[in-house]
Amino acid sequence: MSSTTEVTPSGATGRGSSPRGKGGDARPEVNAGAGASRRRQGLAAWTLALPFCLLFLVFTAWPVIQSLFMSFTDTRSRDLRTPFAVDIVGLDNFTKAFSDPIFRKSMLNTAYFVVVGVPLTMAMALAAAVALDKGITKLRGLFRLGFYTPVITSIVAVAVVWRFLLEREYGLINTVLGWVGIDGPNWLGDPNWAMPGLILMASWRNFGTGMIIFLAGLQAVPWMLHEAAAIDGAGAWQRFRHITLPLLRPTLLFVSVTTAIGYLQFFEEPFVMTNGGPLNSTISMSMYTYKQFGFGNYGLASAMSYIIFVIVAIVTAIQFRLLRENT
Amino acid sequence: MTRTRSQWWLYAVLTIVLLAVIAPFVWMVLGSFKTQGELLQTPPTWWPQTATLDNYTRLFSRLNFSQYFVNSTIVAVAVTAGNLLFCSMVGYALAMLDFPGRRALFLVVMGTLLIPGVVTFVPLFVLVTNVGLANSLPGLILPFLVSPFGVFLMRQYISGLPRDLLDAGRVDGASELRIFARIFLPLCGPALATLGILTFLGSWNNFLWPLVVAQEESKYTLPVALALYSKGQNSTQYGLLLAGATVVVIPVLAIFLAFQRRFIEGIATTGIK
Amino acid sequence: MRRTSAAAVATLTAAALALSACGRDNGGGAGSSETAKDISSGKATGTLTVWAMGNEGDILPDLMKDFEAANPGVKVNVTAIPWDSAHDKFTTAITAGTTPDAAMVGSTWMGEFAGLDALDPVPPSIDTSAYFEGAQKTNEVNGTNYGVPWYVETRLIFYRTDLAKKAGITTPPTDWDGLKNMAKAMQDKAGAKFGMGFQAGGQGSWQSIMPFAWSDGANLTKDDGKAYNFDSPELLEAVKYYQSYFTDGISDKAAPAQPTTEPDFKSGRVPMFISGPWMMSAVEKVGVKKDQYDVMPVPAKKTSSSFVGGSNFAVFKKSKNRDSAWKLVQWLSDPKVQAKWYGMSTDLPSVKSAWDDPALSGDPKLKKFGTALETAQAPPSFPTWEQVVAGFDTEMEKVTKQGADPAAALKSAQQQAESVGTGQ
Repeated sequence: MSSTTEVTPSGATGRGSSPRGKGGDARPEVNAGAGASRRRQGLAAWTLALPFCLLFLVFTAWPVIQSLFMSFTDTRSRDLRTPFAVDIVGLDNFTKAFSDPIFRKSMLNTAYFVVVGVPLTMAMALAAAVALDKGITKLRGLFRLGFYTPVITSIVAVAVVWRFLLEREYGLINTVLGWVGIDGPNWLGDPNWAMPGLILMASWRNFGTGMIIFLAGLQAVPWMLHEAAAIDGAGAWQRFRHITLPLLRPTLLFVSVTTAIGYLQFFEEPFVMTNGGPLNSTISMSMYTYKQFGFGNYGLASAMSYIIFVIVAIVTAIQFRLLRENT
Repeated sequence: MTRTRSQWWLYAVLTIVLLAVIAPFVWMVLGSFKTQGELLQTPPTWWPQTATLDNYTRLFSRLNFSQYFVNSTIVAVAVTAGNLLFCSMVGYALAMLDFPGRRALFLVVMGTLLIPGVVTFVPLFVLVTNVGLANSLPGLILPFLVSPFGVFLMRQYISGLPRDLLDAGRVDGASELRIFARIFLPLCGPALATLGILTFLGSWNNFLWPLVVAQEESKYTLPVALALYSKGQNSTQYGLLLAGATVVVIPVLAIFLAFQRRFIEGIATTGIK
Repeated sequence: MRRTSAAAVATLTAAALALSACGRDNGGGAGSSETAKDISSGKATGTLTVWAMGNEGDILPDLMKDFEAANPGVKVNVTAIPWDSAHDKFTTAITAGTTPDAAMVGSTWMGEFAGLDALDPVPPSIDTSAYFEGAQKTNEVNGTNYGVPWYVETRLIFYRTDLAKKAGITTPPTDWDGLKNMAKAMQDKAGAKFGMGFQAGGQGSWQSIMPFAWSDGANLTKDDGKAYNFDSPELLEAVKYYQSYFTDGISDKAAPAQPTTEPDFKSGRVPMFISGPWMMSAVEKVGVKKDQYDVMPVPAKKTSSSFVGGSNFAVFKKSKNRDSAWKLVQWLSDPKVQAKWYGMSTDLPSVKSAWDDPALSGDPKLKKFGTALETAQAPPSFPTWEQVVAGFDTEMEKVTKQGADPAAALKSAQQQAESVGTGQ
């Protein structure tokens, strides 16, 4: 996640611009004391990191390991009191997961959600950020707050409201579509339209976060470059494509990665809106895994959760490949 | 002159979009003043035809509201404070100090970001129960006391601060920990504001964990209580739900309003660029 | 380099040792029936923790005051838990050993919890013949009773009397064809968009379909109650009948997951549906008047039989105050207490003699529910019921929404049921 010399507006020293270079021990005058310095730093560093490490070992590492263990056994809910009195079944749970048509459908659904949802959310966020940053001068705070509001409302309330919005005959969305002569679909009742409905809702809910981050990233694009290009005759769109976007790359990467990680695990939207239906068109991997936990199939559910984990890691790695700067 | 005209046009578009974006939110607030009958009506109404404060009186009287509010506040404040402190400690170490195992620690932090919640949820619950933390506020707080995202955020931000301060502090003979606490930490205002808001929001709206860990009503948080009192076995009390949701969102809104500028500033300088 | 490989070897060895220590002990399985210890005479004492869901959890503390008055020295702490995730809350508590003394338990969960060895068998001094048979059966797992019915509900057909008159129907139909003709007439003559509001498959749709199967005499188990039985000819007839509503356009196959039953009933868009007693106050809340609607039993093919749901009350094995917990359960089954509970909550009593109370016997609609309760049935109390019936619901979704072949769908449901097993 590192970048080298960036152009920062205030000229503050970034990591790469310090004359001492990266790392901290290349100073010639303290080579002799470098060892002691490192030791002292090491002691301080691990003291500072101690709370994190303890909490991590107890509340993250241990559950992760136990989960991994369960995925190779046929653990059911009644076995959790005697966790070792179970049979090892090797990769059985994993093959069972992949041969389950509903799990495969959930993988497709999740892919659909991510491939459409992530670009849509990012586009909305970027558009809003650009409009607020470069387009208008007054009332920025108001618009910023307004666009961020969906992020802070609880999903339970959001679900109730959106169920009414997406209602076939009297829902607000179909009413508005009706004004321009479009006969709106039966959003939540039609297997082909339920997922688009959920994607719409998720984008509405999450674009505020991306917008805030893009707003921050846009402040790093120097106005001088834009002015120079404008003098040279470049139009607004060209300037956006050739100046803003490339400089925004690290921010794009960050938003893309965090949104994708979130969307790959999407659970709340189908859980409260459609319960995975109609006809399993909206069931996600996380939701199906949760259902298996509910049935007591802990071994199988753990295997599924690990499959999700691996997919998240792979997709993140791919995004890094595609979007990282050429350094 | 064309600039101002296109500005007007932009304002108009933005206003329409803004209205569209906050419309569901407004509907939620208006709905909290409606009766169950009116909420189920088709076509749905916008302004309450028979406005009632019933939902709110029920919310505050039947529910042990103050108890849940206090629980939610304690948990959210504790989790936020813990994160602000611990994440900045580790973030600083990763950003500024050179020590053996630094790369490994960083990889661990980043790797944890990728772990889906489903992987750890059940074993975490069993663990929490076995150490006797079930049905206690610490059980609601401890697993969330430090988040990898927070560590990452602080690390990025602190990397953007001048290294010279570090050297200056060392030359002055200050200990490493003192340098962190006295020199760097005070400079982290914006990042801490950002982390604080995001953490508070996450903790305040957290539903699944408190639901499972809190066994007695005295330990419920607001989202759990809300689900409890509005959803029946076969029906949902929408008015009560919307009223509860409105009340739950107010503290977060207030905090966001108060810290908005520092929040943006914080993200701006985390070196994500 | 050496350090890393040594560490790797150490980890692998540890893992191998741990894995080799695993293995199921397959001797002496559960499956035999248990005998219950009896409870002492005298008053209840000590503290009791009780869990209850939703509205019941809200009101129960008021009822408990009476119990505490009758048993000085006992303190009952009621914890209300949300319905949404009550099932998961129970299973996690059972896993962690943090169950309450007694709790209200959903009627379809008994098999699962008993299978987890969490429930205490019912003591012999509690008379199980006092309850409605269908409800009582939900407590029986492997020949032992693990709880008692607390309140019940059953499903009847709701219909608009004024629109029925318009459609030319004066007496409620008594057979399947009659019901369908009535629904069709509602569409043709009384302006309904859909005559009958049946659920198009999906979660919980079995509660609408099974009443018809049971009215045809279907049995959901075979081999003397040891296996699921989804592809029986009676269930096939019921599913075919149910599907015909959708293919003939009498029911809406594209209805959303969250139904709009009440407003549709009021507007007359869908003037008939099948549901339980709580819908009476629900439709009245949106403005339907008491004399505008009525309920009727599920029409018979061989007999009339509906689905009985509701909740049971059970005591957990880990309870430290078992004696008093059962005394509480016994007290809750007293007909007078049951009648009082009805007054407080509108939950229908599970004890037959409580229905003699004027509040219940005086209301004509409620009387119909009471009559239906005598013949209503519940699904088998196997631990895997929830998982298996989810597969059934999905097949029903295909049958109603896509016109899939009912015979093939039931065969598929049966296959899924067999691969999951009964869990006993």
